[in-house]
Amino acid sequence: MAASLSSTASARLLSSLRSGSLSRGLHVTAARCKNRAARVRVGKGDRPLTYEEALPPHHIAHRKGWLSQHTGNLRGEEGTAERTVEDVFVRRFIFGTFHGCLANELVIKRRGNVLVVCALMLQKLQPQKFYFLIGYSETMLSHLYKCPVKLEVQTLQDKAVYKYL
Amino acid sequence: MSGRYALDSGCVVKVPRALGACSANKTCNIIRSRLPLASSTYFHTATVFSSQPSSITVTKEPDALFQRVSLLVKGHDKSVLDSYELFATMAAKELGIAISKVCELPKDTERFTLLKSVHIFKNHRVQYEMRTHYRFIELSHLTGSTAQVYLEYVQRNLPEGVAMEVTKTAMEKVPDHILKPMWEEDPIDNKLSQG
Repeated sequence: MAASLSSTASARLLSSLRSGSLSRGLHVTAARCKNRAARVRVGKGDRPLTYEEALPPHHIAHRKGWLSQHTGNLRGEEGTAERTVEDVFVRRFIFGTFHGCLANELVIKRRGNVLVVCALMLQKLQPQKFYFLIGYSETMLSHLYKCPVKLEVQTLQDKAVYKYL
Repeated sequence: MSGRYALDSGCVVKVPRALGACSANKTCNIIRSRLPLASSTYFHTATVFSSQPSSITVTKEPDALFQRVSLLVKGHDKSVLDSYELFATMAAKELGIAISKVCELPKDTERFTLLKSVHIFKNHRVQYEMRTHYRFIELSHLTGSTAQVYLEYVQRNLPEGVAMEVTKTAMEKVPDHILKPMWEEDPIDNKLSQG
């Protein structure tokens, strides 16, 4: 306590001697710059998470797979940005079309010209509505991207929970 | 890769997908579902690539000969490349093609360091890396038609996220005018030029 008082006193003296050159403000330390990307912070233990959500991104290629598979990111290959933008759009489109029905993240694969979107859905709608939405999204996406688009859907009762955080 | 079908009894049967090296790609969605008697129903959709067999053309011109056909396969996942190498070597053995070399080139890592924050905080950065794994398969002494069939089959079954580069070394017959050296053919001309 005494030490801190004396240190502040000395700091004030210093600042009065050299006006403005010695800053007393404290810059933010490493504690605020923790990595927050694609990570779920630990909570009370009541929040269910799927395997995909529970593992942080440094486990990709070790314990996780890839959600979007294309050749744009390989050495000597082109079209990285275009594939990424297409992926983002497709994810948002499917998320909006099947609102509340997606059990997990989409897996987008490109084989030659064909765009294959693999989705896990919950059984919230009637199968006829599902079929209509699948056909609608396939037609819309194939018209937008001028390539055959396939939607592979598997349905579940509930989300597959891996962990509670 | 297999198509999955959900039967009425609730069990799932795996059916191998037809692998055909052919021209037009016709695709069909196969959907099976139970009638919506209960409130919950489940179904799967699967995609099957089916195509018609390509026509066989017979020409009188001699077939091109390849001394070496080398495939360089690149991918992010080493296990995918392992299984693809097994597939390609098995296909080559079945077709009777001589495989001269199958090796794994060392991986390439592309790393970059970016600032972690949107504004200031220069001392805190994030590092990303992208790894590219390679496989090299070399086949020797093929005819043009064999190479065409093999490459078409192997390329149609290339997995997603994997790229392939093919290098073909063709053999050509030595042209007639350089088969024999000139001084053997016309000795008289040389004597005249000397004298």
